[in-house]
Amino acid sequence: MAKKDMASSGPKAHVHVFDIVNYIVFVILALIIIVPIWKVVVDSFNAVGVYQFKLWPTQPTLGGYQTILSTSKLYRPFLNSVITTVFGTLLGLVMSTLGGYVLCQFEMPGREAMAFFLLFTMIFSGGMIPEYLVMKQLHLTNNMWILVVKHGMNVYNLVLMRNFFEGIPASLFEAAEIDGCSPMGIFFKIVLPLSKAALASIGLMYAVTVWNDYSTVQIYITTRDQVNFQYILRVMVMDGDTPTSGYKVSQNTLYYAAIVMAILPFMILYPFLQQYFVTGVNIGAVKE
Amino acid sequence: MSKKVTTTSTGAEIRHKPLGMRIWNHRGYYLMFLPVLIYVLIIYYWPMLGIRYSFYDYTLKKMEFVGLKHFQSLFRDRDFWRSFKNTLELSVTKLLITTAASVLVSVFINEMHNLTVKKGLQTIIYLPHFMSWTVTAAIFTLFLSTSSTGMVNETLKSWGVIKDSIDFLHSTSLWRPVFYLVNIWKETGWGTVIFLATLSGINPELYEAADIDGATRMQKIWYVTVPALLNTVIIVLILNLAKVLNMFESVFVMYNNRVFEVSDVISTYIYRKTFLTAIPNYGYTTAVGLFKSLVGCLLVLVCDAASKKIRGRGIM
Repeated sequence: MAKKDMASSGPKAHVHVFDIVNYIVFVILALIIIVPIWKVVVDSFNAVGVYQFKLWPTQPTLGGYQTILSTSKLYRPFLNSVITTVFGTLLGLVMSTLGGYVLCQFEMPGREAMAFFLLFTMIFSGGMIPEYLVMKQLHLTNNMWILVVKHGMNVYNLVLMRNFFEGIPASLFEAAEIDGCSPMGIFFKIVLPLSKAALASIGLMYAVTVWNDYSTVQIYITTRDQVNFQYILRVMVMDGDTPTSGYKVSQNTLYYAAIVMAILPFMILYPFLQQYFVTGVNIGAVKE
Repeated sequence: MSKKVTTTSTGAEIRHKPLGMRIWNHRGYYLMFLPVLIYVLIIYYWPMLGIRYSFYDYTLKKMEFVGLKHFQSLFRDRDFWRSFKNTLELSVTKLLITTAASVLVSVFINEMHNLTVKKGLQTIIYLPHFMSWTVTAAIFTLFLSTSSTGMVNETLKSWGVIKDSIDFLHSTSLWRPVFYLVNIWKETGWGTVIFLATLSGINPELYEAADIDGATRMQKIWYVTVPALLNTVIIVLILNLAKVLNMFESVFVMYNNRVFEVSDVISTYIYRKTFLTAIPNYGYTTAVGLFKSLVGCLLVLVCDAASKKIRGRGIM
């Protein structure tokens, strides 16, 4: 990169017009993303609803968050979201690592058929209604565990996992086999410890999917104590149906506080785990 | 006799032992696959049996074979064709404009030589991708609202641009532009990931050679950067074209009954016909779903063939 830098911009003193334009473009792009998010955060702490963009709240308050944390109809969905996200991610990781590991056993008879068995589900599906009817038979409608079951395995993530495992040197497996290690032993002692980065990024993909899922709840769940936070956010803001009496704060403050709560877990994790958010794509894209 | 020899993806040779012995040697692996097998059978394959309902009248009270009746009424249903047309228009337009925006932004990011600034912007523009559609729609519903706290309307009014508030999300002429803009806001940044990966793979010697030939900055972008991206653009378009019919949540959280004409897509149509109808006929909506699955399947196969032709590798 440094070499290219030297070559393209020549002597340091020479500032190219393009560089100035580029900095301006960068500032505009950053503002387009940051301004809406910043307004949401500021207004969630502001006791009065204002239309203007303010850098800081004019009447600071924590009332929006207090209302959410003290109204069971609002914090219960938040807990449901946390629980389903944790278990959905765990189940997803177990399934995709197991499947991915088995699918990279090149000598195993039937490997191709097993791969096709999985990949076919990416091409064709029963569709929304037959899926709904099956879940209904399994008593998973009106039940928040539907979120865990629905996202408990994603074939695409399994394929990403397999691609990652294929990059582990085969000599490691052979050495372990010679030492009398069982397939499970190899899986736990060699494969998983070497795959921490892949586990982190695919785990994040599952977590984001389950946490952000709204349509599954909309289709499968009607009882209010089983819904997740995304659902309650939608009901409040778009349908204007706020499940709380007597406001401590303006409705606007409550809405914005709810939006912040709905993105909070990933806003906290994102700066530290950004590399894992991105590597998932690269495992898929770079593999040839 | 000669043993059959195959090679793995890494090029290592495998000497095949007899089949029975290989199966026995892998018994542990089959056992490990069992949970995945059961899970996939229940969650993905069992619903496929439900496809037969598309040939039945299936309501809460009865289940009766009706042959192709649902498909006949489906093809005559104006609302269905409207949703089919909307699905294609919305998702293809969305795909083209967000891809174009991503390419443009990637080129700018690629030209930034201050690494801290570059990383900083990437961090910021990836952010909206991880926000749910509900959150995104909630933010923009509040910003675009006609109430006294709606940022867009009130700001435009205070500047004297408009006199009365515009109800963006309830207007048939404005719903689509808003939908596309929200999509651009949410997905452009993330879309750059794959283009930037391509750009980081460009041989620096190409730029050096261009320098020697006296190329300007714009010429280098046009003759080196852009051609390098073209192949990736085509791949991205093919990969996403296979999924165009899947559009659901992004529309569902932003549409409303006043803009069905321009926003209703196949999945939202199926949803309403099943869950917002007094006496739903599961048979009919299953038939709509089957039609969508079949067309979707066809699209995947076409895109897979195109992908194999262009880059020698399928889409899966």
